[in-house]
Amino acid sequence: MRNRLAIIAGGLVAAVVISAPAFAQKQGGTLRVSHRDNPPSASIHEEATISVNMPFMAVFNNLVFFDPKEKINSPDKIVPELAESWAWNDDKTKLTFKLRSGVKWHDGKPFSSKDVKCTWDALRGDEKQEIIRKNPRKVWYKNLKEVTTNGDNEVTFTLERQQPSFLSMLAAGYSPVYPCHVDSRAMRSKPIGTGPFKVAEFKRNEAIKLVKNPDYWKKGRPYLDAIEFKIVPNRSTRVLGFVAGEYDLTFDSDITFPLLKDVKDQKKDAICEARPTNVHSNLLVNRDAPPFDNPKLREALVYSLDRTPFSDILTQGNDLRGATMLPPPAGVWGMTQGELEKLPGFGPDIEKNREVARGLMKELGYGPDKPLKIKVSTRNIAIYRDPAVILIDQLKQIYIDAELEPIDTTIWYNKIQQKNYQVGMNLTGAGLDDPDGVFYENFYSTSDRNYTGYKNPEIDKMIDEQSAMTDVSKRKAMVTKIEQALLKDAARPPITHGVANTCWAPAVKNLVLQHNSIYNGWRLEDVWLDK
Amino acid sequence: MGAYLTRRVLLMVLTLFGMSVLIFVMLRLVPGNIADILVDSAGIADPKEKAKIARELGLDRPIFDQYLQWVGGLVRGDLGFAYVSERPAIEEIAPRIPISAKLAGLALFFSVILGVPLGVISAVRQNSGIDYLLRIISLSGLSLPSFWLGLLILMASVQWFGMIPIYTNEPRSFIDEMLLLSIPAAAVGFRSSALIMRLTRSSMLEVLRQDYIRTARSKGASQTTVNYEHALRNALLPVVTIIGIEAAFLVGGLIVTETVFNIPGVARFLVEAILWRDYPIVQNLVMLIAFCVVVVNFLVDMAYMALDPRIKYAD
Amino acid sequence: MAVIDHDAALAKAGANVSGFWGQAGFLARRYPLGAVGAVLVLLFVLTALFANVIAPHDPLSTNSRASLATPGGVYWLGADFMGRDMFSRIVYGARISLAVAVGATLLGGILGVAIGLMSGFIGGWFDLATQRLMDIMQSLPLLVMALVMAASLGPSLENTIIAIAIPLVPSVARVVRSSTLSLREQPFVEAARAIGMGEVRIAVRHVLPNTLAPLIVLGTAQLGSAILTEASLSFLGLGIPEPYPSWGRMLSESAAEYVRTAPWLVIFPGVAISLTVFGTNLLGDALRDILDPRQRT
Repeated sequence: MRNRLAIIAGGLVAAVVISAPAFAQKQGGTLRVSHRDNPPSASIHEEATISVNMPFMAVFNNLVFFDPKEKINSPDKIVPELAESWAWNDDKTKLTFKLRSGVKWHDGKPFSSKDVKCTWDALRGDEKQEIIRKNPRKVWYKNLKEVTTNGDNEVTFTLERQQPSFLSMLAAGYSPVYPCHVDSRAMRSKPIGTGPFKVAEFKRNEAIKLVKNPDYWKKGRPYLDAIEFKIVPNRSTRVLGFVAGEYDLTFDSDITFPLLKDVKDQKKDAICEARPTNVHSNLLVNRDAPPFDNPKLREALVYSLDRTPFSDILTQGNDLRGATMLPPPAGVWGMTQGELEKLPGFGPDIEKNREVARGLMKELGYGPDKPLKIKVSTRNIAIYRDPAVILIDQLKQIYIDAELEPIDTTIWYNKIQQKNYQVGMNLTGAGLDDPDGVFYENFYSTSDRNYTGYKNPEIDKMIDEQSAMTDVSKRKAMVTKIEQALLKDAARPPITHGVANTCWAPAVKNLVLQHNSIYNGWRLEDVWLDK
Repeated sequence: MGAYLTRRVLLMVLTLFGMSVLIFVMLRLVPGNIADILVDSAGIADPKEKAKIARELGLDRPIFDQYLQWVGGLVRGDLGFAYVSERPAIEEIAPRIPISAKLAGLALFFSVILGVPLGVISAVRQNSGIDYLLRIISLSGLSLPSFWLGLLILMASVQWFGMIPIYTNEPRSFIDEMLLLSIPAAAVGFRSSALIMRLTRSSMLEVLRQDYIRTARSKGASQTTVNYEHALRNALLPVVTIIGIEAAFLVGGLIVTETVFNIPGVARFLVEAILWRDYPIVQNLVMLIAFCVVVVNFLVDMAYMALDPRIKYAD
Repeated sequence: MAVIDHDAALAKAGANVSGFWGQAGFLARRYPLGAVGAVLVLLFVLTALFANVIAPHDPLSTNSRASLATPGGVYWLGADFMGRDMFSRIVYGARISLAVAVGATLLGGILGVAIGLMSGFIGGWFDLATQRLMDIMQSLPLLVMALVMAASLGPSLENTIIAIAIPLVPSVARVVRSSTLSLREQPFVEAARAIGMGEVRIAVRHVLPNTLAPLIVLGTAQLGSAILTEASLSFLGLGIPEPYPSWGRMLSESAAEYVRTAPWLVIFPGVAISLTVFGTNLLGDALRDILDPRQRT
């Protein structure tokens, strides 16, 4: 009886349960998944990579969650998890959650409002909390004034000013609730959550094994007995393993378009879904040192890019054209193609754009016989290097003679932060398809993740302004304005938004991939195996 | 003899001590440390957070203190804590040793059963067609990069058998595991077998030219008896040396092969640990490898002494 | 009753052979495998030197339409993921391999000779210290040593050369030291000393030339292992960085991803490495037979 109530509380969940006959779902089985590399740790709050989110999200719950049955995360598709309900106060600065009772952590201790407070106090930057050691998304909670509890089952988030996106941030995969009583070291190696699966084993460089949480608060879930992630750093070995039936599911977005045909040929019944990764390639331009302290030169860069070859080579033409925000249809906030073409350097006539760039270069005294010599730095990993090689090839067209400088991946951010580069090829992933998440993280002057140290009071003001807007269409117009300003200033000129395939065996049922952020939706409690 | 042994053992200790200093210093020259990596994995560049992590891991302490702590622990059998997994390094290293040891053992086994007989045949039939063929094969074994051989094997097995011989977590039985390891072992062993074959051939040829073989022949011993009973036994001595040294040096081949075949052994772990700047793992693994090499060299010398009464180590 | 054909026997032994081509021809007949090796090595060196003439395309220029193009037509050996011509990349790759092989062998050789000569001549504590240092360096396999070196130096052509050269030093130093020790007592060295020649001059003018034969043999063997080590390092991502077309790098990452769809990406660079190393090994064997008769097989 209680379990049915819980489902009804989920609103949308109930609709799906009714539409899908219950007898079809089978209990049991182990879902075998390939994993691309060793996750730096198991602590989602401390990391910023899908290598952590995909395997460990199923260990946790959020207060609220983007509806895992929907492909598109959007603010109106948020369902309760550890919170049973939520309400804003009148001036929309206080958000109060009623918490589910009787929920237990994997170690048997009860879950309460204290855990919620602990988690967000730590994320706000309270040094006394020992549940995390690093805090990459501190800027997300810049507007969070305090978290107060009212008994064990109620918690209130008080904001400095209204911020409609706040709930979306809490609904992202990057926002699980951590237990107060477990220290950060344990959370990094064998985390305790309230989620549908417990961590049985995290063997570095080898495997991650999750087993069913028999006391999961959502009765009847999860369906699977266990999930096993096998860490296989070599992509061809992973693909061969999937084709040979060693894995039921590939790592997220692991199957690039050139590989897709092969997978389909080899494994006829494989189900592959292409979706945007919400990771986009962009240029970092060092505006604080010659030669790119000259705005004209930066502008020339903006006009130099032909985005088609990037897309053609990297994804056989499947990449998406967009600015910083993910473009529609998957993206909720991105510009349409028509709007996009009005942005500098995005016009369809590449030759014309390059003529502009060459004009600027000539003005500065460069030409075919006197090219500008620069270094293009990038992380020494294929997904960074490949677009950098294409970029270097294109820069020749505007009299720039560039050499690739592959940077050891360990010192990449260091180097960028110390402004020890000229042009960098970079990838930026969005944990959340939301302007607050993306703009604050990457462009706000006080953000930890603004590693280029971009400081523009105008932009900061605009970011704050859009963040407080409740009218969605007005906010969207503001977002477009910010995009234009960023591009004009050559602050990380975007190249393309990635698209890649995730494949699974037909026995894997009920897997719904989220199309505007790969970092969300890996709860896996509804997935079952038809074996 | 006793003095010689004492001296050898002292030298071994000295070499290992030197290695510990060398590896410790070299690792600290590597640009970036674990704090950089941990901060990097979070995609942030906050010097404050980095300093905090560095302090927590003791990276901010004087390098000499860090060294003393490591070596002091090593002497007591305490390998310290791995930075990445935050578990005792021994728990990370120990389970991987048997896997690499089995792979190396199997590779060595293949290389000996292939290398020695073929080397003998090649020597006995010097300058014949088969000698040339075998010499070309053995030279090609020294010329093929073993990771390339591994990739080709992977390609072929998918093409023809629709499967891949990748190491899965817990093979059911010892036999299963050995079968699974035999393909990568062959890829590694090919090179050593070539080396062993060349050495067997040349030392066999040398022995065949010796006076006592001529004597045996002139006394009417049959060609086969001469070749196999007299010559082979004596020719094996240098072969034992190379087998011993190869055993330790197989590690080089294991590094790439474990990577290609995704085998969770120590050799691949070393590369990963280097990339992660996980000093405690790298240092201890390097010392382990150096220890194996030094001990094997010592054992080979001892075997030499035992097998060849002419060799006396005076000082 | 066999009639001894003196002319034939003499010809076989190499008498009456004159001129460069005559000698080359004789050696080729005497050491056919060595000749094959010499041809392979020559081919490799010429390819490296004239890469810009031989390569039909720019090895770095990308082309979206040619991504993973099959061999044949414009792209003789196909194209890689980025649409770069494989043949041109392999041809230019010879330059990298040659630079690494020669650079590392020479650097390792020079350091080794210097240390070996000094060890042999100075002796005493210096000899003892360097010998122990060589012991330490030799207690790690070549690839492991190079791996640690490459990681601490960072990826670049120069650093790769250094990382491979250092582990090559001990074997050279040992060879030079032992011949120095035996040569030092030879009458002609004593004589040189007697007429007041300086130690350094004796070392360079008299001792060094007499150790050349074993050095050349060792050096040729090291050429091959330098090429292989570079390939392994680059394969592991620690050697020559992109976009330089290093053969080992060409086999890693994206090439390995397309083993099934584009096997030529894996096959051709591997063939290039193998043939080159095979050539140096064949040549090395022959040189050893010619220059160092004691080790003749």
